[in-house]
Amino acid sequence: MTEFLNLLINGLIEGLVVALPALAMTLVMGVNRFPNAATGDFMTAGAYATIGLQLAGVPSLILAALIGALAIAATSAASYFLIFRKLARQPMVASLLAAIGLGFLIRSLISLFAGHDQRTFQLPLVRAWNFNGVRILPTDLAIAGTALACLAVVFILLYKTSFGRQLRAVADSADLARASGIRARGLLVSLWLLVGALSSIGGVLLGMKAVVMPDLGWEHLIPAFAAMVLGGIGSPVGAVVGAVLLCVAQELSVPLLGASYKLVLAFGVLAVALLIRPAGLFGRIELVR
Amino acid sequence: MTAYLMSIGIVVLIYALLTLGLNLQFGLTRLVNFGIVAFFAIGAYTSGLLSLKGVPLPLSFLAAMIVAALAALPIGLLSLRLREDYLAIVTLGFSEAIRITIQQEEWLTNGVQGLPGLPKAFASLGGNSDLALFVTLVLVTALTAWGTLRLTRSPLGRLLRAIGDDETALMALGKDPARFKVQIFMLGAALAGLGGAFYAHFITFITPEQFIPLVTFYVWMSLIMGGAGTVRGAIGGTALLMIFLEGSRFAKDLIPGVSEVHMASVRLAVVGLALILFTLYRPQGMFGKRQA
Repeated sequence: MTEFLNLLINGLIEGLVVALPALAMTLVMGVNRFPNAATGDFMTAGAYATIGLQLAGVPSLILAALIGALAIAATSAASYFLIFRKLARQPMVASLLAAIGLGFLIRSLISLFAGHDQRTFQLPLVRAWNFNGVRILPTDLAIAGTALACLAVVFILLYKTSFGRQLRAVADSADLARASGIRARGLLVSLWLLVGALSSIGGVLLGMKAVVMPDLGWEHLIPAFAAMVLGGIGSPVGAVVGAVLLCVAQELSVPLLGASYKLVLAFGVLAVALLIRPAGLFGRIELVR
Repeated sequence: MTAYLMSIGIVVLIYALLTLGLNLQFGLTRLVNFGIVAFFAIGAYTSGLLSLKGVPLPLSFLAAMIVAALAALPIGLLSLRLREDYLAIVTLGFSEAIRITIQQEEWLTNGVQGLPGLPKAFASLGGNSDLALFVTLVLVTALTAWGTLRLTRSPLGRLLRAIGDDETALMALGKDPARFKVQIFMLGAALAGLGGAFYAHFITFITPEQFIPLVTFYVWMSLIMGGAGTVRGAIGGTALLMIFLEGSRFAKDLIPGVSEVHMASVRLAVVGLALILFTLYRPQGMFGKRQA
């Protein structure tokens, strides 16, 4: 029972973290209509930028992570402006291939300059609280809290601001949105700034839970995609719910299948979700077929 | 030197088989397969394991093609229900799932240790075995290229291109694209499986590490550089890829202080840049026709 609770807690925390890239992917999918396969590598870049800033003497992890998020947001917006904006009229395979290429490029630059060694953040060492065998790490609580705060900010942006209203209008119908006077270009640059920052913070949180290495984000691309599909493409709430469900399922499967099969489980969830309910839990079917 | 050129030639031809398979899937039918390496791995392990059990190579090669094609069947059926980019991520996930399974199921695959000591193809010819393998691969690749050309120009080929162009219009004409899509997907996978069998019995030592997604994107880079949809694009692109891969090995030897680890990063960067630049500025590739 305590083992079950420990796995459940771990799955919940990991789910909240994976929710950030899943949300970033679903936002891009809803508006630009392609899966941004570079999302994982934006995460890795965020984690490395933060580590670099810590090494350069930035005293607090939070400050380093924020500066890192700004840098990745700028990279993300630049990649939209220089690459994906120009591919908007091409078949979506073009954008997808370019996103894969961008991810490779980011990962190669990271491994070229930082090497393949595993790195960790400079974190204060803390002891886990133990409640009759149920262990809770204060660091994990901080991770979950940060993820929740980020999600709250994104949802407020999406549902309580004119930016979010315009964005959802463009996602529903780009033509109608244009007809009603919404300027897509500035809006899309803001969107890509947002998903860059979101991915970057997701990468830092993932790195805090484990170690930072050049494949960190790439290895979470399939889970994030599975979470997005499970929740329903283009649905922000769905991405979060999907990520939490998927990661809890992954953690609970560990005693049965072993930790190595987590990714295989994510693939299984993805395939079954597409087979049984392609619209996901909260999605619209026309985006899938 | 001859031996070196011969081994490059063999690797080029194996990649050419993979690229021709992808050309069928993506070039003709717009099926976005990001899991080529899965079928390559399945072919390599199927033939490798069977040959270690004493099955003669011609049979194990055949089995490699059949198992790879059968593994593609469920993915092909799933693809019918999905938009192209979903198929892409599903196949990418499939290839990682296959690689992890190979790594974990030690009772079958010997896990991360891999399978050493596979029988070399044409081993009975001794020193001429690579030459015989090279000639066989030339014939197989030529046959595949010829078959693809025949297929492109046949009524079925026109149908396939129509699937790529406008599936709805095609269904309105009373054609059923679904069956052809699945068949083409399986055929492309069988070619990748065959490539895997050739690979396994050429290098004679396979490990899960050799079957990472980068291999898939080498093949994509070949096809995109050469020009999707044409046989000369697939072959020309593979040649360009190999010039780049082998050239990067020479560059490492010539430039002092550059390690293999650095070079691996540089290779990854070039693949990434090539994918970005070709989709942006030359979607028809170097040898392909301009598509509308």
